[in-house]
Amino acid sequence: MLGSTVINHQQHVGLQKLAALAGVTHSYLGPDKNLKFIQDDTSGGSALVCSCFRVLENLELTCAVGQLVYETVQAHQKVYNTGSGCLLFLAGAWSRAVLECLQRGISVSHIISAMSEGMDICLDVFRKYSISTDGLGVVQSESWTETSHGFGLQLSKKPIKAVSQAMDHLQGTGNAGHKPPNTGGQRKIKLSRHFCEAKSRNVSAASQPKPLNVAHIAEGLTHGCVSAMKLVVEINQIQSKNHRNISCSAFDIIKVVTCVLPGLPEDQSCVLPGCIVLLSAEQALVAHDLQEQHLKVALINGDLSDSFCHLGFRRPAGMQHVKSKMPLSSSKEEEWMVTVLALLLKLEVNLILISGLANQKMIQRCCRHRILVVERVKASVLKAFADDSGGVPVTYVTQLNKQCVGTQAKILIWRDLGSTGTEFSTAVNISSGANSGLATVILTSCVHGKLQALEDQFWSCAYRLHHALIDKSVLPGGGVIEMLCIHHLQKQAGQCTEGAANPYRGVVLCLMADGLIDYITTVMFNTGRLSKVKARTLVSQQLQDFNGHVGTAAKFSQLFLDSGTEDTAFISTVKPVRAPPMTIYDNVSVKQEAWRKALDLVFLVLQTDAEIITGIDQRTDGAKENLMLL
Amino acid sequence: MARLVRKSPSLCTDLPLDNDDISTKLNLLRKLLTSCFGPTGKLKQVHNNVGGHVVTTSTSSVLLPAVSSSQPFVNLIKTSILNHVSRFSDCGLFAAALCLALTERAKQSGLGGNVAIGLNQHLLSLCVGYLQRDDCGCKVKLDFCSSQNLMTLARSVISSKPACVLTEQETLHLSRLAVQAFLLTVPCDSPGTVTLGRTVTVPVEGHSVLNSAVFPGLLVDITDAIYPIKAGTLNSNLLCTVLFSASLAGDLSELGDGIIEVHDGADPDSQILDQLLEIGKQVVKDEVKLFLCQKVIHPVLQQYLRSQGIIVIERLGMSLMEPLIQMTGAQPVAALHTTLPVKAYGKVRELTLRQFGSKTMLQLHPPGESAICTMVLCHRNETMLSELKVVCLKTEHVLRLTLREPSALLGGGCTETHLAAYIRHKSMSKAAETALELGCSQTEYHLGTEVFCRSLESVAAALEHNGGNSLIDLTHAHHWILPADVMREYGEESFGFCGCGLVESSPSKRWTYLNTNYTEFSPESLCGNATQQPRVLDSFVAKLNALQVAVETANLALDVRYIIQDVN
Repeated sequence: MLGSTVINHQQHVGLQKLAALAGVTHSYLGPDKNLKFIQDDTSGGSALVCSCFRVLENLELTCAVGQLVYETVQAHQKVYNTGSGCLLFLAGAWSRAVLECLQRGISVSHIISAMSEGMDICLDVFRKYSISTDGLGVVQSESWTETSHGFGLQLSKKPIKAVSQAMDHLQGTGNAGHKPPNTGGQRKIKLSRHFCEAKSRNVSAASQPKPLNVAHIAEGLTHGCVSAMKLVVEINQIQSKNHRNISCSAFDIIKVVTCVLPGLPEDQSCVLPGCIVLLSAEQALVAHDLQEQHLKVALINGDLSDSFCHLGFRRPAGMQHVKSKMPLSSSKEEEWMVTVLALLLKLEVNLILISGLANQKMIQRCCRHRILVVERVKASVLKAFADDSGGVPVTYVTQLNKQCVGTQAKILIWRDLGSTGTEFSTAVNISSGANSGLATVILTSCVHGKLQALEDQFWSCAYRLHHALIDKSVLPGGGVIEMLCIHHLQKQAGQCTEGAANPYRGVVLCLMADGLIDYITTVMFNTGRLSKVKARTLVSQQLQDFNGHVGTAAKFSQLFLDSGTEDTAFISTVKPVRAPPMTIYDNVSVKQEAWRKALDLVFLVLQTDAEIITGIDQRTDGAKENLMLL
Repeated sequence: MARLVRKSPSLCTDLPLDNDDISTKLNLLRKLLTSCFGPTGKLKQVHNNVGGHVVTTSTSSVLLPAVSSSQPFVNLIKTSILNHVSRFSDCGLFAAALCLALTERAKQSGLGGNVAIGLNQHLLSLCVGYLQRDDCGCKVKLDFCSSQNLMTLARSVISSKPACVLTEQETLHLSRLAVQAFLLTVPCDSPGTVTLGRTVTVPVEGHSVLNSAVFPGLLVDITDAIYPIKAGTLNSNLLCTVLFSASLAGDLSELGDGIIEVHDGADPDSQILDQLLEIGKQVVKDEVKLFLCQKVIHPVLQQYLRSQGIIVIERLGMSLMEPLIQMTGAQPVAALHTTLPVKAYGKVRELTLRQFGSKTMLQLHPPGESAICTMVLCHRNETMLSELKVVCLKTEHVLRLTLREPSALLGGGCTETHLAAYIRHKSMSKAAETALELGCSQTEYHLGTEVFCRSLESVAAALEHNGGNSLIDLTHAHHWILPADVMREYGEESFGFCGCGLVESSPSKRWTYLNTNYTEFSPESLCGNATQQPRVLDSFVAKLNALQVAVETANLALDVRYIIQDVN
């Protein structure tokens, strides 16, 4: 039976739910993370999780707010691979701020307008204090020492091209030629009917790319995942070696593959050029034979099997074969294998990469003819092989012809895994010639349950670097950018004029800033060196100091390093004191998007007053509390 | 053998509006829908009871299909509103709010069903007559020489849905795009009957709204294409194009469930493939450069076509077919006959590759003047994007309706209060005769008028959701909102502007709360001499129809005597 049900949200249950859900993420904030066990009481299964995204993935979220949160975090994770914890924490912190506003009797529209303004202020701070990656961390030049002193405040004087472009983009003028905005005239109506067409923007690349110190940027973006970031830097080195003539900043994340090997100690994790695949003992023998040769490679985008059909092909259900003679001994499958093998031998193919799966008999038969079949190859790897070896991916193996077969592929036995019991015995490196840019990260751990977390950490580090290089700028990290935002929010809150359109602007902005303070103190608390109270005192002290000397050399120090000055002895034992303090960076686009998505979530939930549940059975669910049946 | 099951007797409900269960449900539906109304309306999260995807919305066209009741009476009203929405896109919530308010109030007033129906019908015709008059005080003539009114109209529609979560700047950007897209779909120089073009919407998740844009021609998503389209092939001018609506996957799926007998040795798959390759050969001979297919193309055929330098795009989807036909002039080929008539081929001027974040799109430029354009809509997350898409389609429809009747009604509740004041004044002047004409007493006549006007006013008041008060001024009868949290000392000076933004508050103005009695007056019109431009406008055609639908549905609801349900 269909029905609709309405749940009244008195005292805004939705926001409370959001705040409660966000509580899950507290221990994942900052560089010092704690792992969590999630246990399923009914099945007895458990999962070891180390990020906000994985927690949500493992929870059964049935309420509407939970679903909304999960969808938002999932969308963010898909694009950025990092920052989900920050997103959810702020969604929680700001929903608490909104609850406080509601309690003070501030209307929804006032809350929304003030908070959107607060977000604009923060994004403005991002723009103002973002640091161009050009020339960043270039070895101890004078400008560097200067920057490290007057963090932020001095930086704003630099014309930062990427940022100004971004702002042009935001204003919708898109005048890369630095025209004054009002002469662009793109918004004016030329005719009564047509608007001026937006010209295709040709954002000219920076005239002369300055050398990028990728290692330095990566170090700043480590955020506690030291070993994972080390692997990322190694990939960059491998890739830039290959692309020396193009640009040394190349970091092509599409060409990175991960390969997990359980049972080995963690320090054996490493990076290798090329693509590492795991092979069975039988296949490994073929690989041995094919080593040190230039191989012809076939790329297949589908399965290697006679029953395979391309996507969208439907076999008619009622097909009956009328047999006129006795069936021959060879089956259809056998016929297919004979033809395919003949074709492969004619084309002299030694290596077949398949995105899908292969018929087991076919693999064995290929092995006998010294043809190596590799299954489950990532689409990006296929593409890289297509680009480098000149091969063309085909859907059916029968489509192969001379033009489709690539050349110059190579196989190298990387190591013998030695395990007899498992499916795979040997790890083999396949590469498409000299400068493919393909790189494989081998992740190892003795604890099987930790591999997922290690892989996640690696990808989030890789994506942090990737986005920093795309943004061409980073934010001062370690809490500095948050402190600057808090400072600006509080300053704006203080400047509220009487009789303004929104009389509650000041209060709302202050509460929003409190959410950010909460964020910083939680991160500081997670380091384990400070209590919550101490962290809060430190933060407010710094804010006060800053307010006292605006315009002078006052600055925010990076809180997570310099915090707890009393405990220096303790810190120095943990982390050796370096001569130049390590600088921490944050991603511009990741942070910006996470914050905005957090606020969007809060707004959506805040404006929602009812949940409509469809498909309720009135006899069984009708008795529940709070439900109104339609 | 058939088994006999005893049939349960039908269920009959006498006087459904007097039924407690039904009136509670109608009341709930009214609260549910009116709470969504307007730019500060509350959102609803719609999901199923097993925790599926959550839709957050306040749009009637999304909300109403999700709401289904066990009570046929509720569904009757719902369906009627949905029919209006499917034809006019806009003003669904207005119609629902008015209809349910009218039903509820008429019932409460104690008026006899027939009297109430007759009165409603009479008052509706008064309203419609007034709205269609040239000197109507709440109507604005649209001037196509300037885009300002069109922009205002678009902006009003877009800003009325808070689930889009747009900033002022973003709303403006989208209204501009909506008007731009609308103007692009009006053909310039076609004599005779004018056929409007189309806007195809392409949603892109994860980007700033300000990246949204409108392009002439069509954009085809080729992100998932395995074979990259090389930039070199794009430069040739005026590409001969063929468009298939039939599947070229090489299967026999369109045969249905029947049984096919195949002789051993015959391979239907390869025979179909041969047929497909025949098509390929003819297409190459006819110098086709762009090969489009609504459905799947067999990889072997694709490989052949590509090897001949033809650009192949498959899986276009149903929704792109109509606009493609209009733009290229190609006739869709629905069968696999080998001889393609020459007139089936169309033309595309050129191709451009465009990148939207992770999406790669191929822009097909129209060969000449064409009224087809594509609107790329970007938003940060899926929830807001899907609402935005609905809203933009609605805006397009509303703008198109202006071509039918180049007028708009004042928004922000001003039309409702103005109409109510007009009806009060009008009905007062000839009360005795009209009552006689309608066959009711004068008291009933006054009561019925009051029900009608109050219902109209309640819809205006429903625009405010934050505890503010609704007021009406006693000269123009426009709608004003006094926010709940405005400091007392500002008092009535803090009004600023009325709901539609046409009237500014002045010390000489007098106001009264909407739910109080005021002496009737003839509301002044100021559209002619105003220097102010209205800030909120509603679609004239949609609202007029919504008004009629609301009153007629309410009349039908008042007229139902029995509900007979077959419960088997």
